Amino acid sequence: MNWNCLYLAIISCLLLLNSVKAEIINKNVERYLDLSSQLVKTTIKINAEDSAGVPIKEYVFTAKEANIAYISAKDALNNDLKLRKEQSNDDQRFVLTFEKALPKQTIQIETVSVGNVKPYPEEIKQNEKQLVKYAGLLYLYSKYKTVTQKTQIKLSSSNIISYTQVKPFSVSSNKIILGPYENIKALSDEQLAIHYENQTPFLTVNSLERTIEVSHWGNIAVKESIEMIHSGAKLKGSFSRYDFQKDGRQSGQSAVKSYRTYLPASATGVYYRDMNGNISTSNMNVQRDFIDLELRPRFPLFGGWKTQYILGYNVPSYEYLFSAGKNYQLKMRLIDHVHDNMAIDKAVINVILPEGSSNIELMTPYSIKRRQNEFIYTYLDTTGRPMISFSRSNLVENHISDFTLKYTFSRVSLLQEPFLLIGFIYFIFILTIIFLRLDFSIVSYHHNKSE
Amino acid sequence: METMQRYVSPVNPAVFPHLATVLLIIGTFFTAWFFIFVVSRNKQSKESTLIKELLISLCASIFLGFGILFLLLTVGIYV
Amino acid sequence: MNRGPKILSNKVAGYSSLITFAILLIAWIAGFSSRLFAVIRFESIIHEFDPWFNYRATAYMVQHGWYKFLNWFDERAWYPLGRIVGGTVYPGLMITSGGIHYLLHFLNIPVHIRDICVFLAPVFSGLTAISTYLLTKELWSPGAGLFAASFIAIVPGYISRSVAGSYDNEGIAIFALQFTYFLWVRSVKTGSVFWSAGAAISYFYMVSAWGGYVFIINLIPLHVFVLLIMGRYSPRLLTSYSTFYILGLLFSMQIPFVGFQPIRTSEHMAALGVFVLLMAVATLRHLQTVLSRHEFRKLFVVGGLVAAAFVFVAVVALTMMGVIAPWSGRFYSLWDTGYAKIHIPIIASVSEHQPTTWFSFFFDLHILVCAFPVGVWYCIKQINDERVFVVLYAISAVYFAGVMVRLMLTLTPVVCMLAGVAFSGLLDVFLQEDTSKKFGNSAYSVTETDENEDPTEKKTLYDKAGKLKHRTKHENNHENGISSNLKSVVILAILMILMMFAVHCTWVTSNAYSSPSIVLAFHNSQDGSRNILDDFREAYYWLSQNTADDARIMSWWDYGYQIAGMANRTTLVDNNTWNNSHIALVGKAMSSSEEKSYEIMTSLDVDYVLVIFGGVIGYSGDDINKFLWMVRIAEGEHPKDIKESDFFTDRGEFRVDAEGSPSLLNCLMYKLSYYRFGELKLDYRGPSGYDRTRNAVIGNKDFDLTYLEEAYTTEHWLVRIYRVKKPYEFNRPALKANERLIPPSNFISRKNSKRRKGYIRNRPSVIKGKRTLK
Repeated sequence: MNWNCLYLAIISCLLLLNSVKAEIINKNVERYLDLSSQLVKTTIKINAEDSAGVPIKEYVFTAKEANIAYISAKDALNNDLKLRKEQSNDDQRFVLTFEKALPKQTIQIETVSVGNVKPYPEEIKQNEKQLVKYAGLLYLYSKYKTVTQKTQIKLSSSNIISYTQVKPFSVSSNKIILGPYENIKALSDEQLAIHYENQTPFLTVNSLERTIEVSHWGNIAVKESIEMIHSGAKLKGSFSRYDFQKDGRQSGQSAVKSYRTYLPASATGVYYRDMNGNISTSNMNVQRDFIDLELRPRFPLFGGWKTQYILGYNVPSYEYLFSAGKNYQLKMRLIDHVHDNMAIDKAVINVILPEGSSNIELMTPYSIKRRQNEFIYTYLDTTGRPMISFSRSNLVENHISDFTLKYTFSRVSLLQEPFLLIGFIYFIFILTIIFLRLDFSIVSYHHNKSE
Repeated sequence: METMQRYVSPVNPAVFPHLATVLLIIGTFFTAWFFIFVVSRNKQSKESTLIKELLISLCASIFLGFGILFLLLTVGIYV
Repeated sequence: MNRGPKILSNKVAGYSSLITFAILLIAWIAGFSSRLFAVIRFESIIHEFDPWFNYRATAYMVQHGWYKFLNWFDERAWYPLGRIVGGTVYPGLMITSGGIHYLLHFLNIPVHIRDICVFLAPVFSGLTAISTYLLTKELWSPGAGLFAASFIAIVPGYISRSVAGSYDNEGIAIFALQFTYFLWVRSVKTGSVFWSAGAAISYFYMVSAWGGYVFIINLIPLHVFVLLIMGRYSPRLLTSYSTFYILGLLFSMQIPFVGFQPIRTSEHMAALGVFVLLMAVATLRHLQTVLSRHEFRKLFVVGGLVAAAFVFVAVVALTMMGVIAPWSGRFYSLWDTGYAKIHIPIIASVSEHQPTTWFSFFFDLHILVCAFPVGVWYCIKQINDERVFVVLYAISAVYFAGVMVRLMLTLTPVVCMLAGVAFSGLLDVFLQEDTSKKFGNSAYSVTETDENEDPTEKKTLYDKAGKLKHRTKHENNHENGISSNLKSVVILAILMILMMFAVHCTWVTSNAYSSPSIVLAFHNSQDGSRNILDDFREAYYWLSQNTADDARIMSWWDYGYQIAGMANRTTLVDNNTWNNSHIALVGKAMSSSEEKSYEIMTSLDVDYVLVIFGGVIGYSGDDINKFLWMVRIAEGEHPKDIKESDFFTDRGEFRVDAEGSPSLLNCLMYKLSYYRFGELKLDYRGPSGYDRTRNAVIGNKDFDLTYLEEAYTTEHWLVRIYRVKKPYEFNRPALKANERLIPPSNFISRKNSKRRKGYIRNRPSVIKGKRTLK
């Protein structure tokens, strides 16, 4: 008995000792930075290992970058890992939990951040090129030691003004390869700065209001009202239409003349307008599995110029609405594509259900902020249509995914609208009948005369 | 989710315009009938025609009501 | 359903009223749909200039409520003066569409206020058709009424002011006008207080809707006056006119914009005079019953003359004393077409205030202009109280339409009515006998020849009502000899003419009157495709998105309402044109040199200048073509600084090429229009800087702007916006040394404590009180 106890104690002591000594190290880190647009898309491959061979259950990823809009982590088998966010001081910590605790783990983390590629200089003339500056970290910011790491950076052009040069590095056209660097201490935050030319559209959607209106007569109407700003280098001095027309390449390169929006393939009745009416400059190309809409704002967007518009279309209900008896389920994209590499500051999504829907239940792919539900009164409504409203800020393309809305609706209520119309018309007829009878009694001399 | 079926409209949207036209024409016909009936009603025997008037106008309003509904659906006002 | 002959006659009444109803409904639908060309070709959008203000005011009213609207001080117009909108508009239009908006939203129909505004005029054209039907029915016969209703529904003269999107006062005012006249004629016929009170209420609506109410308040007294002269006085007339006048007067004074005008301005004095005269006549009539015939004669002549003289003297005296305002300038221009050109260039500069050409009479009225005298003739031949009215209406409207293109609008309804009478009379003659065999509809005409006033009698397009038959009996006897062949030929000819009329109307509407004028369409000559030129909205939208919210935009007054409506920015002058000197100041800024106009612009706090330039695409309505009016208006207020003759060449030509006068080639408008245009080659072979509108190579190609910079130019250069630089932004011209606030650094002051005041060398010393010795 005593021996046993002693034995256990020794083992537990050993274990304790082991766990203190055992630490996770990043065996190999590969970073891919995509700086070719206004977003910073980072893909990090980490081979983590426990020095003592203890299975790793949790891994802490620290992000020093500001404005991370999107993050996802995958393990070696490409399965999504659970992320738990912890806010500490000025950097965000994400705790990754593995399904299976192994001494060696391969992690792939993807992040997208907004606003870290900044125009520099901030103001340019019409015929100047837009140069931007990226400020980031030379090494992966990690609470663990890193044995070897390498960073590949993709830029939008080969015109690189300057960049942090820490040997070894190499440059080939629009790619920079930094590293491999070895034995980097934990929490090292050497700066990386790249100043280069980036003419891709810097468009920020300041606000997006997406309204989805479901009708059980077989239609779902989508309306997006969008406020947009060119968030690149501001236009300095005057705008010259002459220069702009004479040489579109030289002059106003960073200006956004048009951009593409992809709509669902089944979209019909597309309209593109603003408060002054229809914007007549857009082209629609129907592709096999989407509609490619080339939108031209009324005026080319130079740096700092704003515009706003409304884009709407109809889709048939069978694409997104499912039913079983009285239960219905709407499965639609929470946000949709606005333009490539888009960045949305704030999006509000309203879903309007048919009159008489109840037991509404919303499921979203990521956290959102619910807003007050309201009742909307439009054509032939009596009690109003329930509107579910929610919002989220800081969205990028990776957020395009489906939400699910469950509700119950009885088919009989579909007949409410026609009966309302019928009742109204019948009421008019009855009024006519009564009125004619009254009329008869008042002007009886007509009658006498015709006799 | 798996047990659910895709939801289609109870009336095929392709026939909305035709339905609207036909129903409205029938409704207009009944309205015209009602109109003539009411105006040319023999003014002595008002009680006996009341039922008939109500019936004709009911027919007219049913057709017109559905006609207007489908007209609305045709023009893109999905009620 | 055969229940004996009584039922049959009832059924006839039923069918005829159904046909009447159907025709009116079809007229309404036809009128409505022929006004939709603009919506189908372009979109549901507010047109032109004034409608934009009406739309903006309506939107404001819908948003803020009626009382806020009445008290609305619009600080975005007429900077820095502002405009009291509630007191300077006819609010009828806004109330009408606001009311419709309220009603629809009450019924949960969420129609945007813009769509209500766009479709208001077409909807009201249907109401106009119905009130024209009613009026013509009162004057002549239901058949003529149906003709008139069908005519007015599609006649271009009215469509020109009421296409979808043309959201203007006239759109609803013509309905109010016709309806007031209908109620008035009704009340004269019946002598009922009910109808004349109705006329007064309708007149109230008209007053609230359009300044043209003055036409009613002069025409109705004229009618009464002529009836009195013709010896057609009756107690019915007394009742209806006195009710109408008193109620109408009180009602019209409720409109803030009208206020006390009905008792203080000359335009309204005729109504008062006739009222007094009518009272005098009524008194005399009453005396007639008391006095003997001989005594009365004397009293009548003397009393009548004295009363007339008294009224005249009173009006003149009050005018002299200033209690009654004299005729306004706009009114003078109705009598003397040259008046405006000399005294009020701002009125003369508007194309719709030009005298009407013969061509436009035919263009707007087609066959009706020929049929109309026939109708007048019919009416004069068979005169009665109400036909006096229509004849007076016709004569005065013809005169006014001849003076101003714009007043073609008031002529159109009466032309339609009288043409309806004419066609009705014509068919009456030629469809006399065997109508029942030719036209199935008229099978019942035998049964209802005697139902004179019965509203349910039979009316079809080709059928005459019983009332008319009595009156035309003698004519019928004359025409009995016409062979049936001739009849059918004539009827076919009439039908052909009517068909051509309909075709013409549709053609004119679709080609001439359906352009929103803020969106231009042109056909590409190469591939025949239709292109849309959306430069105006492009520029206005740019302004609305990319300028400061309180930015002040200077432009010529034509574009004021559009800038306020579409860009929501402050303007200096707009289409209200109430302040001539302010407009002249803008005109002066446009026609001075850049340096001088910069002073004006800074004094007016201008941030942006907007000009319309059509030289690239050949748009003729641009600012350079309007420029002479700017000069003229500026000259009217600032004759020392601006002279029209400076802008002409020695030979008196206005040209923009190298031979143009130097003051034109250097004025602000020229520079803003042609800035960097001299470098632009429109054509590979052609020279650079070729102005397509004026077909000339511009004279001053190479210049730069010092005080302004190009802020935006639209795709086809149609609208150019310039930003006025702040004083620190440009290289100022060198200041003279004594004007500098900071002295140059190498200047060493010679002042010391003793010579603080400074001195002049060799200055003669003056000893006060003594003469300087030589």
